[in-house]
Amino acid sequence: MANRTLHPLAWWSWAGSLAIAIAKSNSLILAVSVVGVVAVVVVKKSERAPWANSFRWALTMGLWIIVIRIFIGITIGVPTYGRTLFVLPIVALPSWMAGVRIGGVVTLERLSATAHEGFMLAAIIALLGAASSLSSPHRLLRSLPVMVYEFGVAVVIATSVLPQIVISAGRIRQAQTLRGQSSKSLRRFALPLLEDSLSRSLDLAAAMDSRGYGFSRKRSRYRPSIWSYREFSLMLPSLAAIIIPAFAFFVAIAALFLAPGRDNQ
Amino acid sequence: MIVFSHVSLIYPNSLKTVLEDLSFTVDEGEFVLVMGSTGSGKSSLLRLINGLVPHHTGGILAGDIVVNGLSTREVKPGGLSHLIGIVGQNPLNGFVADKVEEEIAFGMETLNVAPDVMRKRVEEVLDLLSLTNLRDRSIATLSGGEQQRVAIGSALVMHPKVLVLDEPTSALDPIAAEEVLSILHRLVHDLGLTVIISEHRLERVIQFVDRIIDIAGDGVATIGSPQEILKNSITAPPIVQLSRALEMPEVSLTVREMRRATQDFRESFTFNLHASAPRNESPEVISISKLTSAFGNKIALRDISLKVHAGEIIAVMGRNGAGKSTLLRSIAGVLRPQSGEIRVCGQEPSKLKGASRISSVGYIPQEPSDLLYGQSVGGECLQADKDNKVPPGTTSGILANLLPNISSNVHPRDLSEGQRLGLAISVVLSADPKILILDEPTRGLDYSAKASLIILLRRLAGEGRTIIIASHDVELVAEVGERVLFIADGEIVADGSTVEVLLSSPAFAPQVAKIMAPLPWLTVNDVLRVKN
Repeated sequence: MANRTLHPLAWWSWAGSLAIAIAKSNSLILAVSVVGVVAVVVVKKSERAPWANSFRWALTMGLWIIVIRIFIGITIGVPTYGRTLFVLPIVALPSWMAGVRIGGVVTLERLSATAHEGFMLAAIIALLGAASSLSSPHRLLRSLPVMVYEFGVAVVIATSVLPQIVISAGRIRQAQTLRGQSSKSLRRFALPLLEDSLSRSLDLAAAMDSRGYGFSRKRSRYRPSIWSYREFSLMLPSLAAIIIPAFAFFVAIAALFLAPGRDNQ
Repeated sequence: MIVFSHVSLIYPNSLKTVLEDLSFTVDEGEFVLVMGSTGSGKSSLLRLINGLVPHHTGGILAGDIVVNGLSTREVKPGGLSHLIGIVGQNPLNGFVADKVEEEIAFGMETLNVAPDVMRKRVEEVLDLLSLTNLRDRSIATLSGGEQQRVAIGSALVMHPKVLVLDEPTSALDPIAAEEVLSILHRLVHDLGLTVIISEHRLERVIQFVDRIIDIAGDGVATIGSPQEILKNSITAPPIVQLSRALEMPEVSLTVREMRRATQDFRESFTFNLHASAPRNESPEVISISKLTSAFGNKIALRDISLKVHAGEIIAVMGRNGAGKSTLLRSIAGVLRPQSGEIRVCGQEPSKLKGASRISSVGYIPQEPSDLLYGQSVGGECLQADKDNKVPPGTTSGILANLLPNISSNVHPRDLSEGQRLGLAISVVLSADPKILILDEPTRGLDYSAKASLIILLRRLAGEGRTIIIASHDVELVAEVGERVLFIADGEIVADGSTVEVLLSSPAFAPQVAKIMAPLPWLTVNDVLRVKN
């Protein structure tokens, strides 16, 4: 059986190096083109797994970051010289807050600088989102070296339960509304949730116990990730991209050719 | 394969022995059913087999349990994991991975099975349980029946000799339940697997089992063939009740046998379908027009139009994920419809707040305990009086009427499933709602709790309340429902009297109807009424 997808570590180091390269070069064009190529890679190569939507979430989050960064950049900030776009009224602040200014002149330079910063941050977050789309953090944890493997398995189990707790929290909140409760009382909400999670953890512990968890001292791995020439050929240029950021665009494209396709499994 | 010798069990802080001096042997390749009312110790008995009781729960165990030569006294549950596969009541609570394939492999990973062996076994199990096209799916997105199959798969992959299942079909619709049970039946016959199962809805399993262990609840348990046990037991599926009612010498357990035995009886009646139900003249309380509801880009309800009158009992049926709960929650006003209009007592339910909400719609969710947050039954009742602005004592009055012997100091968590449902209903009823909605109320209820629920619902409908129930339990619907809505894929595919709808679908027909077809009788009482 062929290696289904690249080793999770290869994907994460690829995305990580691209993020470093973008941050180092601080060039908008490079960031836009790298994120664009990464988006293509995600669409073509991402796993059909619960985490596959991370990239989309990361993009939405990035968009919010840009919006918030620009909003803050316009309202609060030091005066920057340049072409005046518009003038906001200055809010009077107490004397002990000297140095902070709300409102004032908004110049083209100030606007573009904040937008640039916001975009860089969003691009880095998008790259991390892409990494979890391409190979879920759970797979990364599962491929940890033997010494910390047990720890990794425990973290995987703990985080797999999270979505269920979110679901039961929603269910309980709904039930409270149905009982005519419009005020949000923490006790009334937290108690059923706590009881629910407690009985769930007891069930989980019993299930793990009867499936032999912790019984054998050694664990084996289902579908162990294999580190082969493909991983090397993706990782080496990725590291190079950290040194020469302009190289990042081509490294991003390289993943398209090195990763095995989803369709030919 | 499994030997219980003089087993007695008592939990700490409890005065009641769960099991007393129980001895029996289960042979290889047997399909054994454990039955008994709620709280009688069915789960305890099942968990004794792999030692989860008492190793995991505490309790004092006397006697010895030996599985394939290993005593649970000496070996912990983990040491029996290669021998016994156990599937809990709520499989979702026992899942450890997020993907189907990884979940199935988990048990083998912990036992350090070689990767290539694991691959082979996982593929086998995926094929055996037809899970192949779900292998990469997130477990949280699977339907109830699929989750149950994954749980069975992750137990089977260990190549156990014994498979223990605690109420595996309680959350499943009749078709999915049938699917799970026939898989078990096949495993027993093809692989010689020993299966031990507990179930409340005997009508679903009775035709498959070789022997029954009947737990009375006071520590006494009897074991025997289904015929022996069911001839005299209090809990009995409709098919057995029917043969008792017809005073037949032997109880028959399959629809086929029973049809043969009742051939003369059936032929003595001529086929006459009731005239269709008279038009309901009482005022309209719910009107829905062109309701469409969606989650993301998945449409849950499509173009639903519906009118409901005061005093009606409506049962909503359909497969898991057909949109039943979405419909109920839209009527209750917790889900805002995407388009279309809902009017409950002339108002839009999603805009109802506080007092006007609880006096128009009462909703009992699938988990009745979601509604409860008191530390004792008494406290819960007082809180409900305060919330609903009714004189103190109202709620406890309703509860006393419903469940006479319930102590007000008990914590709601310690109540049995049926008692908890009763408490939740009392809390909701104290606000005197015109409409009562119950989502899957009979999950985990035994026959006697179900019978008292049926009486209660009829009484409430008699008082002019409208009752809407979503249920997989065809026997309950046959007893209580006047009108059935059948939902498939977000659309109402049938809306008519219970007789019409249930008889037209073989999978959803109650047992008596299958036996008496083509005569239009759904319950034992229907047959008795005609007979006398």
